[in-house]
Amino acid sequence: MSLQVGVVGAGGFGQAIARAAARQEHDVVLWSRRERSVPESIRASTNIDDMKDRDVIFLAAPARHATSIADQLGKVVDGRHLIVHVSRGLIGAELKTITTVLREHTAARRLGALAGPLVPNALAEGRPSGAILGTMFPEVTEMVREAIGGMELRIYDTTDVLGVQLASATVGFLTVVLAYAQATGVEPSTLAVLATRGMVEISRIGQALGASEETFMGLAGLGDLIAAVAGDERAESLVGRALARGAELASAVAEAGAYVEGVEVAEHMIEQAHRLGLQTPISSVFVEISNRRMTPEDALHALMERRVGPE
Amino acid sequence: MMLKRLFSERPLRLPHIRPYVPRPSDPSIFWFNSERGDIVSDVVNRICVAHETDRSRLEMALNDAAFHEIRRLEQQRDEEARDRLGYWRSMIRRIGKMDDAEQRQALHTIVANMAHDVAGNFDPRVYRFARQAIPRMVAGVMEPRRFASSFTAPQSEVLSRVLRVQGDIDHLQYLQSEGSLVFVPTHSSNLDSIVLAQALEVSGLPPVIYGAGKNLFTNPIISFFMHNLGAYRVDRRIRVRLYKEVLTLYSQVMIERGYHSLFFPGGTRSRSGMIERHLKLGLLGSAVEAFTTNRVRRVQRPVWFVPTTINYALVLEAETLIRDWLTEEGQTRYIIEDDEFSQIDRWVAFFRKVVGMRGACIIRFGEPIDPFGNAIDEKGGSLSPAGHNIDPGGYVERRGTPVVDLSRDAAYTRELGTVLAERYEQDTVLMSTQVVAHVLYRHLVQATPGMDLFARMRLRNEVSIDRAVVHKDLGDARDRLLALEAKGQVLISDVVREDSPDQLIEAALQFWSGYHNSTAASLEADRVLLCDPSLLLYYQNRLVPFADRIADTEQMQAACEIEALGVHR
Repeated sequence: MSLQVGVVGAGGFGQAIARAAARQEHDVVLWSRRERSVPESIRASTNIDDMKDRDVIFLAAPARHATSIADQLGKVVDGRHLIVHVSRGLIGAELKTITTVLREHTAARRLGALAGPLVPNALAEGRPSGAILGTMFPEVTEMVREAIGGMELRIYDTTDVLGVQLASATVGFLTVVLAYAQATGVEPSTLAVLATRGMVEISRIGQALGASEETFMGLAGLGDLIAAVAGDERAESLVGRALARGAELASAVAEAGAYVEGVEVAEHMIEQAHRLGLQTPISSVFVEISNRRMTPEDALHALMERRVGPE
Repeated sequence: MMLKRLFSERPLRLPHIRPYVPRPSDPSIFWFNSERGDIVSDVVNRICVAHETDRSRLEMALNDAAFHEIRRLEQQRDEEARDRLGYWRSMIRRIGKMDDAEQRQALHTIVANMAHDVAGNFDPRVYRFARQAIPRMVAGVMEPRRFASSFTAPQSEVLSRVLRVQGDIDHLQYLQSEGSLVFVPTHSSNLDSIVLAQALEVSGLPPVIYGAGKNLFTNPIISFFMHNLGAYRVDRRIRVRLYKEVLTLYSQVMIERGYHSLFFPGGTRSRSGMIERHLKLGLLGSAVEAFTTNRVRRVQRPVWFVPTTINYALVLEAETLIRDWLTEEGQTRYIIEDDEFSQIDRWVAFFRKVVGMRGACIIRFGEPIDPFGNAIDEKGGSLSPAGHNIDPGGYVERRGTPVVDLSRDAAYTRELGTVLAERYEQDTVLMSTQVVAHVLYRHLVQATPGMDLFARMRLRNEVSIDRAVVHKDLGDARDRLLALEAKGQVLISDVVREDSPDQLIEAALQFWSGYHNSTAASLEADRVLLCDPSLLLYYQNRLVPFADRIADTEQMQAACEIEALGVHR
């Protein structure tokens, strides 16, 4: 049975989801602020009212636009709608998740967060891939699998909605760190230590905020990080490399050509961690580097001289 | 003893010469007795049908019932054990040998017994007597010199001085005739149900049904009133899965039929004194499921939840509760047999104490919400965050058709639990004793940074604070609380708002010292001596979620330590 699929946001991810859903012969409407040319199988729209009759809506917009888009969606959706977002960001100093924003601004309750090593190109072209969907509602999982899943895309599910979003956002930041380290020529063993301890660091913060450790060690966390390090050419990696070449943070982000959620999340994440009494050696040092308050050599020294204990 | 047991096992009912015929204007519960049989049958049938189609599930349910009941009765070793142990031992031996029909019959018998034991009764005569007599008796205990006149006075001045009711009562009065109201209050004391019943009464709101722990039925007088005022009995010693199904389904069927309900989502009384955050979802789920079932049957009867906070300046059982929390027994002991609630002299001392307190208890009925956490308009229509009317039935639709989906509704219930916890914080009315306790306890934490909670509890009479400092901090804390109140994040009592810091501290010390066995704090010349940190902890715990928002830079570390107490919940 054909689904009425809505996609909000016509960036890389939005277009990829729309193509994947259209490939499954669903009725797809792709909404964006500006008019877009899209394949025949997809209907483009600039009228948010077109989301009213959709069974499931994918929100594919950067976190910084999530609140204003949720406000617009709030005028047209109700309890019948299922909404799933693919943002890798968190909002503000309190690290508010996008599902929280959707909960606050719309009447929809059946929400989900799609994350993991899924990249727009693979999704758009139907290359084999996998993702993790965080939702409390089994029917959201069923509908997302029906909308975009299939032989090319394995969609696993978890009820740790918070964990999926925290892992996704913090891995984005860790990707920048690792790309920077790779570009500065660190040894593979150093990179392995940085990646593993970085995962431990963000996982502890996630757990303190209420997420599950398993989520960080699954597709949303470790799986996503492996894809990034393996070189899936995501924007975070480009930022890391640009920083390694000596670019300033703002120009590194501009050079990446896409909005990088992880960088904004980092400072707020560190604040929250310190508030919770947690240490953030890798994240803190990298924020210092990216703001040019510390040299790479000093950073490495600062990390290496820390007291070492059981893993 | 025989008599007591007889009444507690089979609560007394008054004989009927002529059955009462409810008038159209009577609250829904007046119809209960005529529907009681139907309700019990409905519960029994639904549970039996759900099990009968699957033999392995049926056999599992019977084994589970027999196993847990044998274990319970062997531990109880009382008269009930002598009566029933043989039955269950015989049952567990026979289950495997029973054919399908015998197993179904056994299930029906067990579930019917449970449902009859749970179901309450409602006697309009007892209700009329209780609504007249109980407030006057309480007022008489509070002011013995006016004991005689309290029975003839049209309304108790004492009670209206002590008990304040806040909230949009007109709205609730309108809604009660349009759908099922489910009151979901915070829970601090065994007095809660009595106080809440009184608040409903003075607000012109209808009586509600609620589940009362079987321990409350051990007193024949309380048992008589509980049983005849619609309360259903909950025996928390019974671990049988079928019993839990009976309880939740009983609650669900009652709500489906339009009876107004009350349950405490916190489960038991808050041992720590903190505002409940992690709520038990079983009965909440029954109300969500009632809404779904009605929608699937095309019955347009709304269900609304009324988040309610019960705020005491003095808590009857404070000392026992905090001791229980500190010894970490709160999780396993559901009945504290020897707490202040079971000691009549403590009741008298308590009531006499609170009579001198302006607004000693504030019941706040919060804005009602639908089962999905949405605000509602004056007619009960659900509102989206953007303020548009939405159909709550949409939440239980699957591609346009309302369907029962237990997993989906369990997720809605979890969300509802989160919304209620947020509402409890916003609707909590902070009382004078709690604010004073917080300021004093924060000083104790500042004086002992990083100290283990339990070590801190042993610091009796060891820390004192300059009275002028306490006054200043109290004034600052009040100013910050007023700012939070202006943002809709919390509420404060009129006493906190109006009295000077001097008055607040003196009144709080006076209230504590006159009622509790130990003294929380005392005035020693120009210093305030912290006498019993555990009592201060109990009262200050209400402010745990707000600690960092009412602290200045110097107090922030202590506030963070206090905030971390919330992790223990």
